[in-house]
Amino acid sequence: MESALTLNHFLFVSAALFAIGLAGVLLRRNLIIIFMCLELMLAAANLTLVAFSRFNVQDGHPHYDGQVLLFFIITVAAAEVAVGLAIIVALFRTKETTDVTKVNSMKY
Amino acid sequence: MPVYYLEIIVVALGLVVLMVDAFVKLEDKRSLAWIGILGLAVVFALLFKVEWPASTEGAFWRFYSSGDSLALFFKGIAVLTTLIVLVMAIDYSPIILKQIANPEPGAHPQAGLGECFALPLFACAGLMWMASANNLVSIFVSLETVTIAFYIMVAYLRRNVGSLEAGVKYLILGALSTGFLVYGFAWLFGITGSMQLSEIATALANPELNPTVALFAFALILVGLAFKIGATPFHLWIPDVYQGAPTPITAFLSVGSKAAGFIITLRLLAPFLGSPALFEKVVLILTVLAVLTLLVGNLAALPQKNFKRLLAYSSIAHAGFLVMALACSPHETGGEITLSPDTVIAFYLGAYLLMTLLAFLVMTTLRTTIPGEERDSYRGLAKRSPFLAFALLISMASLAGVPLTAGFFGKFFVFALAVESQQWTLLVFGLIGAAAGFYYYLKIAVSMYLSDPPQDSDAAPISITPLTRITLLALIVLILLAGVHPGVILGLIG
Repeated sequence: MESALTLNHFLFVSAALFAIGLAGVLLRRNLIIIFMCLELMLAAANLTLVAFSRFNVQDGHPHYDGQVLLFFIITVAAAEVAVGLAIIVALFRTKETTDVTKVNSMKY
Repeated sequence: MPVYYLEIIVVALGLVVLMVDAFVKLEDKRSLAWIGILGLAVVFALLFKVEWPASTEGAFWRFYSSGDSLALFFKGIAVLTTLIVLVMAIDYSPIILKQIANPEPGAHPQAGLGECFALPLFACAGLMWMASANNLVSIFVSLETVTIAFYIMVAYLRRNVGSLEAGVKYLILGALSTGFLVYGFAWLFGITGSMQLSEIATALANPELNPTVALFAFALILVGLAFKIGATPFHLWIPDVYQGAPTPITAFLSVGSKAAGFIITLRLLAPFLGSPALFEKVVLILTVLAVLTLLVGNLAALPQKNFKRLLAYSSIAHAGFLVMALACSPHETGGEITLSPDTVIAFYLGAYLLMTLLAFLVMTTLRTTIPGEERDSYRGLAKRSPFLAFALLISMASLAGVPLTAGFFGKFFVFALAVESQQWTLLVFGLIGAAAGFYYYLKIAVSMYLSDPPQDSDAAPISITPLTRITLLALIVLILLAGVHPGVILGLIG
């Protein structure tokens, strides 16, 4: 039986993930939530990569280059979280808030 | 010596600085910066000695471009920038120490200073790798190496609200741009089936390719890149981050990060510009981006009172001229071309390095004696320190593009390129931007030379360390030399 899932299904889901992440970054005010939404955008890119990799078959194998980039993205995202959370904690210690609208001492 | 040894040497240098900081009892941690400065000077000299391998087969060379003088030039920019940033960090360290003061009893009085000399070295290795990256994977990883090091450096003053605020803003917007970039990479991989830039170029030139999807991938990648190079409308982070970050790091961001951003922009745009179906649309998008960046950068700089913020807008304005050069890329079937956008951009960035670092170096030297970075605090500087005032004057004249300075030829080549590719709209906006630049750069010079010093300031002369003095002199001489004889820089591009 032929698989009912096509490349387009995966691309739609990943586009939805990307849109949700972007909307969260733009609309939410809590830094931690914004950070989670940024991770969601990276997850969207990962899903796209895996989908393209799986459906782009060469010599009977998926095109593995895409999946290799995925592992690099996961690693970099982890490093980014480590540094990012440290900065957010340092900010919380001085300002006692994670609300981005209160982080605005510099203006035009 | 193979060229990729240089990155390894720089990483090793960073590790040496970290280890010496951790395990050697140093009286004065500023000597760590000297390890970095001397090491980088050696690496800079080695840049002229590198050789390319005879065979570029094998797994490694899929990630690293070979036989490429443009890459070497941008590696040189990265090394030189990091070296001067370390010189600045020595002068700036009293301010850093004040803002990271460690309350623990018994701690080293300079605890926490060592890392601020090691981090620029790691960022430098990333910047150098970016210059040679020719694969989506290596572009992504090198770019993130730099970006993550910068997150830490921007937020380094952890007791200072401004620095932390800048760090958070840079973190969120940097991560956002990474999101756009990798999503664009995923689509580019999907439509071309390759991570290799040369193979992507072949696939994009294929007339059977769906241009809409290719443009979608292009738009996503361009959003990510525009964040990194600071092109409008993705420049919003620049003024705040530049103002809040420690001054040496602002200089590093403004020169190192921008130059490396432009080299990967050049590399990533080349496949799109080489595709006949996409060429016109890509050039149109770049033209709009250049016009917006030129207008916003130059006009928003006019009312600025804070000098650091002024330089932030100035860096946006310069990004505008550089994107303008990109938008003047010639069509492959076009006639004879004497100037290539690659050369023009490389020259412009070389000149930009000299003049921007000169301005920031004067600023860090003054920071310990003159509190604050407002424009008014530099009033009457010529009476207190003629040498520093002269250095700032040369830098401002060059940034504005006064003839006989390096900045003049930078702008001149961009305008010549616009004339050659008959981009008249861009030329008009470029001239408007350059004219506005004269006003806001020279206003600083006028206030230094013609105004009286502020009432409450003391008139004591400002002390300059010998290292800073030599660096300032070298930068001034290079700016004037390149302004008379641009071949000094052009010869290095090859």
